[in-house]
Amino acid sequence: MTRWCPQTPGAAFLLTLLALPFLLSNTNAASPLMATAQEFDADFDYVAGAPTHLRGANIGSVEEFNAAARYAVSPAITKRLLLRLGAEWQRSDLRVPDNVPLPKTLQQASAIVGLDCQLTDQWLLRTELDPGIYSDFKDVSWRDVNAPFLLTAACVVDADFQWFVGLRLNLYSQYPVWPVLGLRWKFADEWTLNLILPHPRLEYDVNERLKLYLGGRVQGGTYRVSDDFGTDHGDPRLNHELLDQYELRVGPGVSWRLLRNMTIDLDVGYMVYREFNFFDHHVVLRSNPAPYGQIAWHLRF
Amino acid sequence: MMAPVIQRSMVWLFAFASLFLSSVAWAGPDPLVRLKGFSEFPSVNIQDLLKGEILSEPGALMDFKNGISAQTCYAVFVPAQQAARKLQLWNPSLHQDLKIFKFHPVNEPSAPMDFRDMSLKSNQRPIRWLLDKTRATTPTQSDLNLSKEEAEQLAACVKNHPDPQAVSACWAQLLQQRALAFEQQGFAGVAPYETGGETMSPVTQLRTMLREQPAVATEFAPMLRESGVLGQEGKLDPFHYWGMYEADHRAVLNLGAVYLLPVGNRYQLMDAQYYVSGVYYSFVTLYEVWPIQLGNQAASLIWRGDFFAAPVLQFTSGFERLAYGAVMVQELKKAIRAFQDDVKTKP
Repeated sequence: MTRWCPQTPGAAFLLTLLALPFLLSNTNAASPLMATAQEFDADFDYVAGAPTHLRGANIGSVEEFNAAARYAVSPAITKRLLLRLGAEWQRSDLRVPDNVPLPKTLQQASAIVGLDCQLTDQWLLRTELDPGIYSDFKDVSWRDVNAPFLLTAACVVDADFQWFVGLRLNLYSQYPVWPVLGLRWKFADEWTLNLILPHPRLEYDVNERLKLYLGGRVQGGTYRVSDDFGTDHGDPRLNHELLDQYELRVGPGVSWRLLRNMTIDLDVGYMVYREFNFFDHHVVLRSNPAPYGQIAWHLRF
Repeated sequence: MMAPVIQRSMVWLFAFASLFLSSVAWAGPDPLVRLKGFSEFPSVNIQDLLKGEILSEPGALMDFKNGISAQTCYAVFVPAQQAARKLQLWNPSLHQDLKIFKFHPVNEPSAPMDFRDMSLKSNQRPIRWLLDKTRATTPTQSDLNLSKEEAEQLAACVKNHPDPQAVSACWAQLLQQRALAFEQQGFAGVAPYETGGETMSPVTQLRTMLREQPAVATEFAPMLRESGVLGQEGKLDPFHYWGMYEADHRAVLNLGAVYLLPVGNRYQLMDAQYYVSGVYYSFVTLYEVWPIQLGNQAASLIWRGDFFAAPVLQFTSGFERLAYGAVMVQELKKAIRAFQDDVKTKP
C-alpha cells in the first residue's frame, strides 16, 4: 500500500510561514551582527537483548544500538521571529534472529525547516517540518520520503512555570496526529518537574554543574522497509510496507555541564515497552523490558 | 422592542466613551508621539493603560551577546512628579512575590551602619548558595563578581571567620567600600570583576547596552549625560541602595543608584545596579514619566526600559533566548503591578 506524501503538514507550515511576517510586521529587523543560535546534539544508546513476541510466540531476543546527531541553526529575522534550519540523522541497528520480520537497520536522514516566534509577551510558537528519508535504506526511493510536522506553543507564566501544548503530524504513521502536552515547573530551589517530550524528567540540581534526574524517554518513528523485505522474511505482504516503532524507557541519569555551552547526559534504566508495528497487516512485535544505557552530548554556540 | 433599548444603550455608551476619551489630556508635547519616536511601541492606547494594562515589547536585538532588554509602558493615578519620586525611592522588598530578601537605602557618605542588616544566616537555599560561594572564594578564583583585591580581602576575611554572621560582616565591609567609591567617583569608581577568568566591567556593559539602542540613548541623552554613566562627571545626586535579591534561585547582593532628572514637563529616571555579587553582571532600568490629565485627576504615563547583562545569555540564543525574553517580561510585569498597587494603596 502506497501513501501520498503528507500535504496537510506542509500546507499548514507554509501558511504559518507566510502569515508570520505579517503578524510580526511591527517588529524591527534583526541586526546583521545579531548572534545566530547554533545547536548540536549527539547521542548513542544501547538496549540489551529483550525477548520479543509475535502473535504471542517468543521469536527470540532483539538487541538495539542507536546513534543520532542533530544540528540546527536559528538566524533571527526579526526580534520576534527566528528561522530554524538544520539536519538530523538517526540510525537504529537491530540484532534480530533470522527470519524475524524486522529490518536490521532503521534510519532517518532529514532536514529541519522551521520557525520560532514570539506571538505575544507570554506565548511562543515553534513549527518544524522534518522532510527526509525514513527507511531501512535498502532500496531508497521517493516512497521513503516523509515529512513529519511539529507545532508547539509554549506559555510562559513566569520564570518557574511554563506549559506547552502541541501537535505532531506524521501522516505515514498508524496514528497520524499526536497531541502533545507538557510543563516545566521549578517547584523548589533545587527541584524541577520537566514534563516535556521526548525526555520527561524530575530533576534535582546538585550544583550549577551537576543535575540528577529520574526520567523517561519516549521515542518512535515511521519507516518504510524495502521492496523485497517481506519476501525475504517469509511474508510478501510486508514488501515496501510502513513500520511504526514506539519505545518507552525509564531510568535515572546525571547531567553534567562541562562548559557553559556544553552538557553531557548519562542515563541507565529500563526499556519498559517496545513495539514494532506493520500496522497495515497487524504484524506487531512487542518486547519484554530490558536494561539500557545512553550517553548524550549537547553543544550550544 | 429590544432594538431601541440596545440603541439607547449604545448611544449612552458611545457618549460616555467620547467623554472619557476627550477628558484625557496632557500638558506640553504629546507623549504618545514621543513614545513612538524612541520606543518599541508604535501605537499606545492610553485608555487601556488607564484600565491597568501593561504594554510590553522585547527590546531590539543586540550584538552584545550577554545582553537582553525589554520595554514596558503603563500608567499610574498620581501626578508625574509624585510618580517619579515614588519610582526613585520605591522599596520593592515589601512584596514577597518579587523575592527580594533585603532592600536598604545607603547614606552619602555611606557608613557601616547602612549595612547592619546584612545577614547570610539563613536556611534558604539561595542564601546558602551565596554563603557557600563566598567561603569557596580564594584570592585568585571565585564564582562571584569580585576584583582581585576584593577576592583577596574576602578570602582572608572568610578564612578567619567562616560562620554566617562573620561572612555577612565581610560582605558588609566590601559593599560599603564599593558604595563609598561610587559616591566619590561615580561610575569611574566602579571596579571591574576579575575572578571569573576574564576582566568584566559592569559599567562598560551598561554603556554597551545603552549604545546598542540609539533611539533610547538619544531620548535619554540628558539623563545619561547628567548621571555620568557615559564617562562624564555626574551632576545628579542619586538615591543609593543596597539589596539582596533572588535571581535564578540564588541570592545576589547588589548596589544601585537611582537618578531623577526633570526634563521640561516630564521626568527621566535611571536605576543602575553598578555592582552585583554574582549570577548576572549588570542591570539598568530607564524610566520616562509624563503627566496626563484625566478629567480632574492627575495621572502619569510611564515608559520603562530594562537592560540586563548575564553570563548565561552568552550561549542562550534562538528559541531559548525568546523564552528568556518572555520570562523577563513576565517578571517585570510582576514588579510593575507591585508598584502600581503601592501607588494605589499608599498614595
